[in-house]
Amino acid sequence: MERIVTGMSITEVLETMRGNEGYYVTNTARDLSQSDFKNRILLHTELLAAPAREKANYFSLEITGGASVHVDILRKQVDPFLKLELLRDKMPNTMFQTLCRGVNLFGYRPYPQNVIRLTVREFAKYVDVWRVFDFMNHIPNMLAVFEEVQKAGKILEPCICFSTGPEHTDDFYVNKVGEILDVTGDEILLCIKNHGGLGTPKRIGQLVAAIKDRYPDIVIHYHGHNTDGNDVGRISAAVRNGAKVIDAADHSFTGYYGPPPILSVIHDLREEGFEPVGLDDSAIIETSEILRNEREHYEYFESQFKGFSPTVQIHKLPGGAMGSSFEQAVKGDFLDKMPEILHDELPKVQKELGNYWSVTPGSQILWTTAVNNVLGGDRYGNPTGDLKNLLLGKYGPFPFYQPPDWIYEKVFGPDWKKILEEEGGLDDIEDIDIEKERAGLAKRLGYEPTEQQLVTYLQHPNDAVEFFKFEEKFGKVYVLPPSIFLRRGGFKLGETLQFKDHNGKEHVIEIGPKQKSEDGEWKVYLNVDHHEREYSFKEVVQGSVAQEAQLSKEEVEDLARVGDVRAPFKANVCEISVEAGQEVRIGDRLAMVEAMKMQTPVDSVVNGKIEKIFAELGQALKVGDKMIKIKVDEG
Amino acid sequence: MKKKILVANRGEIAIRIIRAVQELGYTAVAVYETPDNDALHIRVADEAVWLGDGPRSDYLNIEKVIKAARKVGADAIHPGYGFLAENPDFAKACEDTGLIFIGPSSEVISQLGDKVTARRIMAEAGIPMVPGTQNLKAGGEGVAEAVAFGAEYGYPIMLKATAGGGGRGIRRVENEAQLRAEIHVARAEAKAAFNNDNVYIEKVVLTPKHVEVQILADAKGKTVHLGSRDCSIQRRNQKLVEIAPSLIKDRKLVDEICATAVRAAKAANYFNAGTVEFLVDKEMNYYFMEINTRIQVEHTVSEMVTGIDIVRTQIKLAMGKDLAFDQKDVQIRGFAIEVRVNAEDPQNNFMPEAGKKVTVYRSPGGYGVRLDGFVYQGYTIPEDYDSLLVKMTVFGFSWNETVDRLRRCLANYVITGPKTTIPFYLKLVNDPDFQSGDFDTSFIETHPELIEYDEQGSEVNKLARLIAEIHYEQQNKYAI
Repeated sequence: MERIVTGMSITEVLETMRGNEGYYVTNTARDLSQSDFKNRILLHTELLAAPAREKANYFSLEITGGASVHVDILRKQVDPFLKLELLRDKMPNTMFQTLCRGVNLFGYRPYPQNVIRLTVREFAKYVDVWRVFDFMNHIPNMLAVFEEVQKAGKILEPCICFSTGPEHTDDFYVNKVGEILDVTGDEILLCIKNHGGLGTPKRIGQLVAAIKDRYPDIVIHYHGHNTDGNDVGRISAAVRNGAKVIDAADHSFTGYYGPPPILSVIHDLREEGFEPVGLDDSAIIETSEILRNEREHYEYFESQFKGFSPTVQIHKLPGGAMGSSFEQAVKGDFLDKMPEILHDELPKVQKELGNYWSVTPGSQILWTTAVNNVLGGDRYGNPTGDLKNLLLGKYGPFPFYQPPDWIYEKVFGPDWKKILEEEGGLDDIEDIDIEKERAGLAKRLGYEPTEQQLVTYLQHPNDAVEFFKFEEKFGKVYVLPPSIFLRRGGFKLGETLQFKDHNGKEHVIEIGPKQKSEDGEWKVYLNVDHHEREYSFKEVVQGSVAQEAQLSKEEVEDLARVGDVRAPFKANVCEISVEAGQEVRIGDRLAMVEAMKMQTPVDSVVNGKIEKIFAELGQALKVGDKMIKIKVDEG
Repeated sequence: MKKKILVANRGEIAIRIIRAVQELGYTAVAVYETPDNDALHIRVADEAVWLGDGPRSDYLNIEKVIKAARKVGADAIHPGYGFLAENPDFAKACEDTGLIFIGPSSEVISQLGDKVTARRIMAEAGIPMVPGTQNLKAGGEGVAEAVAFGAEYGYPIMLKATAGGGGRGIRRVENEAQLRAEIHVARAEAKAAFNNDNVYIEKVVLTPKHVEVQILADAKGKTVHLGSRDCSIQRRNQKLVEIAPSLIKDRKLVDEICATAVRAAKAANYFNAGTVEFLVDKEMNYYFMEINTRIQVEHTVSEMVTGIDIVRTQIKLAMGKDLAFDQKDVQIRGFAIEVRVNAEDPQNNFMPEAGKKVTVYRSPGGYGVRLDGFVYQGYTIPEDYDSLLVKMTVFGFSWNETVDRLRRCLANYVITGPKTTIPFYLKLVNDPDFQSGDFDTSFIETHPELIEYDEQGSEVNKLARLIAEIHYEQQNKYAI
């Protein structure tokens, strides 16, 4: 048997692969593009492509994991489990693949063991192949996921994250593979995760050969990005040196970000004498024809940064972070600083912080630190909570060397050694009471959540609740094509929208007039299945909020010294650590806020007693918004 | 000269009457108060007279209405329902001024309007009645009388205002202590509402069906009935849904009730159109309740199943014509259901939605649908009157067909602006107990889930809401 289909065990998969001359392809739809664009591809579009993708006979379709669970609920308003269920209907034979961030799961920071196990168990019902990585290549961070995946009888694919630099030798990586095999046994696929698309084809070929040399039977899956435009070269080198599975994407959805076109890889390797096992070229072309028609609807979300970016070899920021970094630069008005940040500061920061792997969430820490260093002027003078955690070893030990002392001193003050000694190292994250979480969710929703809802909630509590409420209000919106869901500038008067709902019922909505009524409300009229409907909207008065003077950083700090704790920057409240009436000391954590995937603690700068808590869990705060009032101790 | 008829009412019933007047080739005159400046009945009438600023007080002002009729040279006045319809003083004033009052004589109204007198007349005629008392004597004596009744017949009992009607002036009492406490309250209320503090007692028939019979009688005493109606679906004694004919399986019993109704009308020397109301208990015993001496809201269902235009007949009878048909000519065919589409929010305790503008109005049509209403797109519902917007009556050959048609029409009815009872009826029409046709006056109480609907309920409506929002915001803020 050549083809690999759902239901095959890891043993059968490995035997089939080893027994074939050719190589296998994973369609990396999830990682198609790493900019904001990727985060937008709607389930509607994936469903359109599903039949052709099924026909193409891939080894697997990577369709979940990474940030996708979060963006499913945050930006696409689709249930990550429903997505898999619906795709499975249309793709019964193709294995589904996920990317799991080890202890960080599908989020940005470590989860308790029992949450990890529950999450893997639920997703394993739909996901056949589990690619697991840790951005510090710290194997213990992945153990719980390894165990659960193997327990569920699914295919485990541990990663070694790849980067370049003097420390990143073949020996280092081959030893890492050994560390993995020690805990997983031989029945795995091994992934080389080259998320930045770093190194030359030659370098990748050498690495594959070195691993194969030590472990001749190992089946290697190469994952790379085409950021510099040369991943076809690296893939080719990997396969020629013995890699059995490679990642590529549907060509009409590729660009500088993401993996290279599947078809280009096939053409290249065919000349070299390697055939993709079972792959149907015409179905690959058909998929891209379907997707090409959809791409225009995502235009708004394509990166501002056009063209390939060979300088990735300098700044090492993976494709995804590249796109969003430019978006942030535009929004934050520091586009002119980008060359300095990317090509001077970022390589410097990387070296200073131990030359670890620039992948989530480590890449965000590097990026944010570099931005703060350049914009703030005072290098490491404005550390984020996540940078502190990194330095304290909360994500795992530094792989090659510890950052220099002066950075520790800058971040933690003169007592840094004591702090590092007392607080440093991986935390044992205690199991949480899942039943208590379930009850809490039920209370927030007003009904008993399903197991899947609970799992989604445990990944991203506030966003999950928002999503469930959204779904209650607006229904299953994946049925709306991107031309509707992502429409900008409103619809045209008289425009007719047609779609089938979740139950398969066909509907027609005609856009009617939009008018301001006498009482100042806006009315939108729609003709819904030939019934006129009216929708009222209250106008948000522009300006009144914007004109409010925002507090400066100094003012926020001054207020904090008198017990009036304000939001330090625009952020969401992700934890309130105190209760009214509680005594707090200087340095005690009051709350955690989150902005741009980064959590930052808000600590008390006074001794006193909590008088009142204004901030609410999940609240979006503006700079200077009241959070907590502390009655400061006299004297 | 062309006859002229003044319609002393507003809203849907005014329009209903005006249509009949105009069909007869007569001139229809509307009256109105200031809040009704934009009302449709003024537009459809041939002439209109402003009564005053109201609200309500001018529609209730006998002197002003009579003056208006005289001013326009009206021959007759149709009072509709509510307002002055069952006020004997108004009928009397018409009689005294030489205006034809389209309805029974002031004397009959007066007798039947006094519930105790009515009970006496019916008792004499041998009409079955719920056990009850005469008017309670004043003070302690009356209380003693009431307590004795309670002891004999058991609780619960009803304390009723003699001058009440239409579900008003009724209090249910569960035990003796409550009875003692509430007699005074009931009297005070009756005094305030009807200017008459007489009250009497009736035993409560638990969870009865409300069955009534439409009567027509000419001046010569020929009295026919137009079959039965079931009005059991009520909320706090206010009817919501009316059905013709009654769905009681035992048709012989229904025939008997109709015959009894004719006897009751005759005993009261009834003239013109009226309704004899009965309660039917679990054991299928029936009891006379009262005679309503006016055209009723729900007359449409009887018209649909008999083909007889009751309002037209009313006018002709009042003009001195005899009934042109006999009982045997009255054939009941099929079924009719009327729902009262009110501007109310069922989910907010049926709170009136007055003061709101109807921004979209699209009514259903097609076979077997009849609408008696007065709203139009752009109409602002005045705050001073009742909340009935439209009566939708559907007709069908079988009960199931009629229910199906009602469902279709409700689903196709679009009224935006005020909330209405339509979604509530949509729940009702899908309720198996309603569909079975076997229900009594406890129906609404025992089916609280009828108000549990999501107005934007269906999947497409939810999606449409998002589309409206994307359109309004110029982008999807849930995809930012």
